[in-house]
Amino acid sequence: MSRLYGDPIEVWTRDGEPTQFVWRDRLYLVRRVLDHWVVAREWWKTSEGDPGERKFWRVEASPGREVGSYELRYDTAGNAWLLLRAWD
Amino acid sequence: MAAPFPHLSVCSAYSMRFGTAFPRALVSRAVEHGMDILALTDRDGLYGAIKHAHACAEARISAVFGVNLALDALPPLPGFGVPGLDLPGRRRAPAPRTGPDAEDRVTVLARAKGWSRLCRLVTSAHYAGERGTPKVTRELIGEWAGGRDDGHGGDHGFGAEDGLVVLLGPRSDVGRAVAERRDEHARMLLGLWRAAVPGVVIELVDQYGYRDATTAVRMLGLAESMGVPAVLTNAVRYLDPVDHQVGDVLDAARQLVPLHPRHLDRTTSHAYLKGTKEMRQVANKVCGADQERVSRLLFTTRRLAEACSMNPEELLALRSDPPNLHLPEIGRDPVPLLRHRVEDGLISRGLDRSGDARRRLRDEMAIIERKRLSGYFIAVAGITDMIRGMGIRCAIRGSGAGSLVNYLIGIGEVNPLDHALLMERFLSEGRVGLPDIDVDVESARRLDCYKAIFERYGEARVACVSMMETYRARSAIRDVAGAMGLPPHEIDAIAKAFPHIRAKQITASLHDLPELRDSRLGEAGLDRVFRLAERLDGLPRHIAMHPCGVLIGNAGLHDRTPVERSLLDFPMSQFDKDDVEEAGLLKLDVLGVRMQSAMAYALSEIKRVDDVVVALDTQRGEDTGIQYVPHDDQDTYDMICASRTLGCFQIESPGQRELVAKLEPRTLHDLIVDISLFRPGPVNSDMVTPYLEARHGWRRPYYPHERLREALKETHGVVVFHEQVLRIIEVMTGRDLSFAEKLRRTLDTSEGRERVRKTFVPMAKANGFDDTAVERAWQVLDAFGAFGFCKAHAAAFALPTYQSAWLKRHHAAAFFAGVLTHEPGMYPPRVIIDEARQCGVKILPLDINKSGKDWRVERLGLRVRPAALEGASSPVRREFKVGEIGKGYALRVPFSAVKGVSEAEVERMVAGQPYTSLADFWDRARPSRPTIERIVQVGGLDALHDLQPGGPRWRPGVLTRRDLIAQVGALERASSIGVRSGPRASRRYTARPARVAEPPSVQLPLGFTEHLPPGELPEMTETEMVEAELEILGIDISRHVISFHDELLDALGVVRSRDLLKQRNGAEVLVAGVKVATQTPAVRSGQRVIFTTLDDSTGPIDLTFFESVQGRCAATVFGSWLMLARGVVRRTGTRAVSMRAVDCWNLVDLERLWRAEGIEAVRALLSQAPEQVAGVGGRKIEYANGFRLSPYSDLGPAVDNPPRQLWHASPGSSGPTAA
Repeated sequence: MSRLYGDPIEVWTRDGEPTQFVWRDRLYLVRRVLDHWVVAREWWKTSEGDPGERKFWRVEASPGREVGSYELRYDTAGNAWLLLRAWD
Repeated sequence: MAAPFPHLSVCSAYSMRFGTAFPRALVSRAVEHGMDILALTDRDGLYGAIKHAHACAEARISAVFGVNLALDALPPLPGFGVPGLDLPGRRRAPAPRTGPDAEDRVTVLARAKGWSRLCRLVTSAHYAGERGTPKVTRELIGEWAGGRDDGHGGDHGFGAEDGLVVLLGPRSDVGRAVAERRDEHARMLLGLWRAAVPGVVIELVDQYGYRDATTAVRMLGLAESMGVPAVLTNAVRYLDPVDHQVGDVLDAARQLVPLHPRHLDRTTSHAYLKGTKEMRQVANKVCGADQERVSRLLFTTRRLAEACSMNPEELLALRSDPPNLHLPEIGRDPVPLLRHRVEDGLISRGLDRSGDARRRLRDEMAIIERKRLSGYFIAVAGITDMIRGMGIRCAIRGSGAGSLVNYLIGIGEVNPLDHALLMERFLSEGRVGLPDIDVDVESARRLDCYKAIFERYGEARVACVSMMETYRARSAIRDVAGAMGLPPHEIDAIAKAFPHIRAKQITASLHDLPELRDSRLGEAGLDRVFRLAERLDGLPRHIAMHPCGVLIGNAGLHDRTPVERSLLDFPMSQFDKDDVEEAGLLKLDVLGVRMQSAMAYALSEIKRVDDVVVALDTQRGEDTGIQYVPHDDQDTYDMICASRTLGCFQIESPGQRELVAKLEPRTLHDLIVDISLFRPGPVNSDMVTPYLEARHGWRRPYYPHERLREALKETHGVVVFHEQVLRIIEVMTGRDLSFAEKLRRTLDTSEGRERVRKTFVPMAKANGFDDTAVERAWQVLDAFGAFGFCKAHAAAFALPTYQSAWLKRHHAAAFFAGVLTHEPGMYPPRVIIDEARQCGVKILPLDINKSGKDWRVERLGLRVRPAALEGASSPVRREFKVGEIGKGYALRVPFSAVKGVSEAEVERMVAGQPYTSLADFWDRARPSRPTIERIVQVGGLDALHDLQPGGPRWRPGVLTRRDLIAQVGALERASSIGVRSGPRASRRYTARPARVAEPPSVQLPLGFTEHLPPGELPEMTETEMVEAELEILGIDISRHVISFHDELLDALGVVRSRDLLKQRNGAEVLVAGVKVATQTPAVRSGQRVIFTTLDDSTGPIDLTFFESVQGRCAATVFGSWLMLARGVVRRTGTRAVSMRAVDCWNLVDLERLWRAEGIEAVRALLSQAPEQVAGVGGRKIEYANGFRLSPYSDLGPAVDNPPRQLWHASPGSSGPTAA
C-alpha cells in the first residue's frame, strides 16, 4: 500500500544520485535505485526564466532493518527535495 | 571502451516541423564529442542527406543514412470489437490523434551499399501513402530490404551489404507492445518482422522519461530471448537540451494543436546529441549496471554503425574524378549524334562559311565531349523542340545563351557571336559545377510542358526539383502564436504587421522600423512569442516544387534520389537544386514567364482582330502577309527613350524608367547594357554614371591599358559584364578563358580577391605589362568584384524586353490585353489600365454580350491598316506621341475580372452569348446570385437595358441598375418556386434565340411573378459606380479615383504628373495619387529607401523616401492608398523626372478635414513643421568594397490591399450611399 506525503526532506547525493535522506527525523540509507526519470515542466505556463525540470527517484531505503520503497522528487529550479510517497 | 559511441537515430531540421538542428551543426557537435560516425535518419525522407554527406565529408567522418517512417495502421480486423472474437494480440485501444502514440514509427538504415534501396523504399513509401504522409508496411520494407545474409548469418543479423536494416524502437509496434506489457504480442510482431526483413535490430532508447527505462529493459530482454541484436540510440532531435522548447512548439504546430503535454512527443529534454560518456551512463541504466551486458550493447551498436557507414563522398558524385554524372539516355551514342546536329545547325543558321563559328564550335565540342555531356544537349534540344512543337513560346535564358552549340541545335535563339558572348561562363574546363540550361516558356502553359516531358521520358527518368520553404517572420509568428493559443484573428493581425523579413529580425525590427514602432507591438506582452519565433528562423517548414528545375536522367534516376509527389502530382525529387548538382544529376530549368504568355496572348488577339500574323521571333522575311519584327525599329526605341515603358518586360520599374530615359537606348545592345547596369552590383559600385557620361560623350572613355580597349570598347571603358572581366584576365595574364572564369568566381569574397591579386599581378607582369598598367587593371577588377552581370543572361533578357516594347508600340491594345490577362509585371491592373488610356486605348465596361473570358481587344470604327505593315520603309519619322499609339482600339473588361466568379460560370456566360434580357441571362448562363448582382452593379447590363447611370438619382419610369438588382431577387424567388420566366425550354447554348430587332422591352418578361415598376429604386451615383468597380473589379473603369478629389487638389495647387516636367529642378511641390507600387530595394548608401509610385490619371509619379523622413512617413506610405506628398523635383534626364519626398499625408484624411473645417485647416496642417522622429535603425551589412546594405532592404513590405471604402461619401456631390 502506498501513501502520498509530499514532505520536504534533506537529501545527500553522490554523482547526482541520492544516497541517504532524513524524513520525519529519521535517517534513511538508500540501498538501491529502482527507477529514475525526469519530467520537464510545462514551461509555457510558467513565468519567464528557467522553468527547470523535476527528477524522480524510486529507491529502496531503510531507516533500520525494515526496507521500504520511497519516491523522491528533486526540483532543479527550486533546488528542493520532496518525499512524494512511500510503500511499506 | 576506446571506440566512440555512434548515434544511429538522429533527426535533423529536415524532419519538417520536428527536428531543430541542421545536419552541419549535428556533425560538428559529433566531432566535438570525438565521434567518427554519425547517422541521419530524418522523418519521411532523405531531404537532408546530401547536406549531411557534405558536412561529414568536410569533417572527415563516416556517414550513415536512414529514414524514419510511419507504419501503416492495420485495417480493422474482422470480428474487431465483437466480444469473444477478439484475439489476444489484437485487442488495442484506438490510437490517439496526437502525441507520440498517434502512429507507430520505425527507423530504416541503409547498409554500406544500400543507398539505392533506401531511395527506392522512400519513393515507394511516398507513393503508398497519401501525399505528404508516407506510410510503409512490413512487407514494403521487406520488398526493398535486400536478400538474406549469405546463408550462415555471417553479417551478425544485419542483412546483406547492399540491403536495409530495420530498427525497432520504443515507438515501433514491437516497442509499444512491450510498453503495454503484452509480451506474447511483442514476440509475435518481432517474429513477423524477422520473417519479412532479414536485417532486424531492436533499438533501445532511454531519455529519462517515466517508464523509459522499464521499457528499454524489457525490450533488451525480448531481444536477448529471441536472439535479435539490440543497439542503443538516443533518438536525437535536438542539439542542446534547451532546444526542447522549440521542439514542443513544432510538435504543436505540426499537429495544429495548442501546447499541452498530451500532444507532445517528449517528456524530458534529453533527446539531444549526447556524448560517449553520457550514452554510457544510459547504457548502464538500461543494463542495470551489468558490465558485460553494457559492453555487449555498446559493441553491437558500434558494429551496426560500422556495417552501415559509408564514405560520404560516394553520394557527392560531383567530387569524384571524373565526376560520376547521371546522364540521360537517348537511345544511341550521343557523341556522333550531337556532331551531326551541330553540323546541320551551321548550315541552317547560315554559319557554315564562318571561320569564327567553326573555331568556336570546335572548342565547345571538345569540352562537351570531354565532359561526356553530348547526351544532355541532345535531350534538352529534344525537349525545346517538343515545347515549340506544341506552339508554346520558348526562349533560352541565362549563361546558356553564351554557347554556340545551344544556338546551333535550336535550344536558344541568341547567336553568341553577334553579341560577343562567351561559352566559358556556361561551361568550362575549370568549372566544377554542371552546366545549367534555362529556358523560359509561357507561364500559363508551363505545366503542359512538364506533362509533355514526363510523357516523353517517363516518370522513372525525370523528376522535378524541390525546394524547402523555411520559417520566416510571418510564418514563425503564426505557428508560435497558434501553439500558445492566441486567437486566430489576433495572430493574423500580428503576423501581417511585419514585412517579409527573416524570423531572426523580429525583435530588432520592432525597434528599427518606424511603422512597427508606431504599432506598439513590442509592448503588447508578446515577448515570448517573438523570442520563440526567432528560434524557428530558417527551419524547413514544408517542401514545395521548385518553380523550374526538371531532372533529366536515365532509368536509374530513382536509385540516386528519392522521389515524392508534388501538390500537382508531379514526381518531385527530395533534393533541392544545390543537392541535385552535388549528386551529379543534370537538370533543365523550365521557367514559366508571364510575359511570354502575355505576348502569346497579344499575338492571338492581333490575329483575331486585325487578321495580321506577327512573326515576333523573325527579324525579316519575304511574306507580305506577315509582320516581321526587326531589332532596329526606331519607333520602338523612341517610345523607350520617352520612358513610356510601363508594362514592358524588365524596364517598367521606376528605377528602370529613369535609367532608360538617361541612357536612351537605340539598339538591342544598348538594352543589354541597360539591363546589366540595373543590378545591385553595378548600381552600388557606381558604374552607371561613368558609363552614361562616356556614352553621351561628356567624358572620354577610360581604358586601363591600350590592349584592353577591345574588351571594354562596347561599354565605353566601364566594366559591365562578366564576359569583360574574363577578357581582361585573359589579355593580362595570357591564359585561356577557362582559367579566367576560375579567377572570376573567386572574386566573390575579400579573401578571394586577395588570392586572385596574388595570382593575377605577377602573371600580368610576367606577361609584359608594366606596373602601373597592372595596378590600374587590378583596380578595375577589385572594384568590380563579383558584381556585374553575365552578358549572356542580359542578352537573353533583352530580347523579350525589346519584343514587348515593340508590341506595345505597334499593337498597344493587344499588348495591354495580354498584360492584363497574364499580369506579368509589378503593377496592379488599374495602373496598366491607366497607361492604356494614356496610350489612347479606350476602356469599355463589362457587357454581358461583348465581354469574353479574358481581356479582349475591340476595334473602334473602321479598320485602319497598321502603319508598320504598309511601309516600314516610309522615310518620314513622326514625333513620338504617346496618345496615338493605341488609337482606334479598345479593351473590354472580361467576366473573369468579376470578383468571386467561378470558371464554370464564366464558361457558361461566354457560351450563352448573346442574351436578350436580364431574365434570359439568368436563365441560360445560370450565374450565382452574388455574381449576377455584381455584374449588374458594374454595368454589365447597361448596354442591353439602355441604362444611364450617373446624373440624377430619381428617375420615375426609367429602369435603373438597382431595379435590375431587385429583379434578380424576384427571378431567384421565381426559380426557386419552379416558375419559369420566358422561353427557357432547354439549356442548349448553341440554339441561340433569334435576335430581337427592337430594343429589349423595359418590362422584363417576368411572367406572372412579381411586378416591379422601373425607376422605383434610385440610380447609382458616379461615386457609387466607381466604388462598385473597385470592389468588384479592382479597377476604376468609369472614372479615375483621383478625380473625386480634384476640387481639393486644385485648391491646394497640387501638380499633376504630366506637368512635372515643366517644373524646374529643385522646386518643392505637392503631388497626389493612388499608390500603385512600393519597393525597398538594396541601394548604395546602405539606407532603407522606400520607392513609391503614385498614379494621378495623367501618368506615374515616382517618389523616393530616404531614411531621414521615414520616421514620420513610413506608416503613411505603407498604410494609405490615396496619398498626398510634398517633394522636391529632381530632373533625371531630358524627359524624366522623379521626386525626393519630404512629407506625406493620407489624402482621405485631408479630404475629411477639408469638408469639416475648410481649406485653411488643410493648409495649416500641411505647413506644420514636420516633427523629428527617429528613423530606421539596424546595423548595416557592410561589404568589403565599402558597399553597405540595410538589413531591411529588398523585401516585400507589408503593403495592404486597397480598402473597400475608398473615400467617405462627400455629401456635397453624391448624397447618401445606402440603396
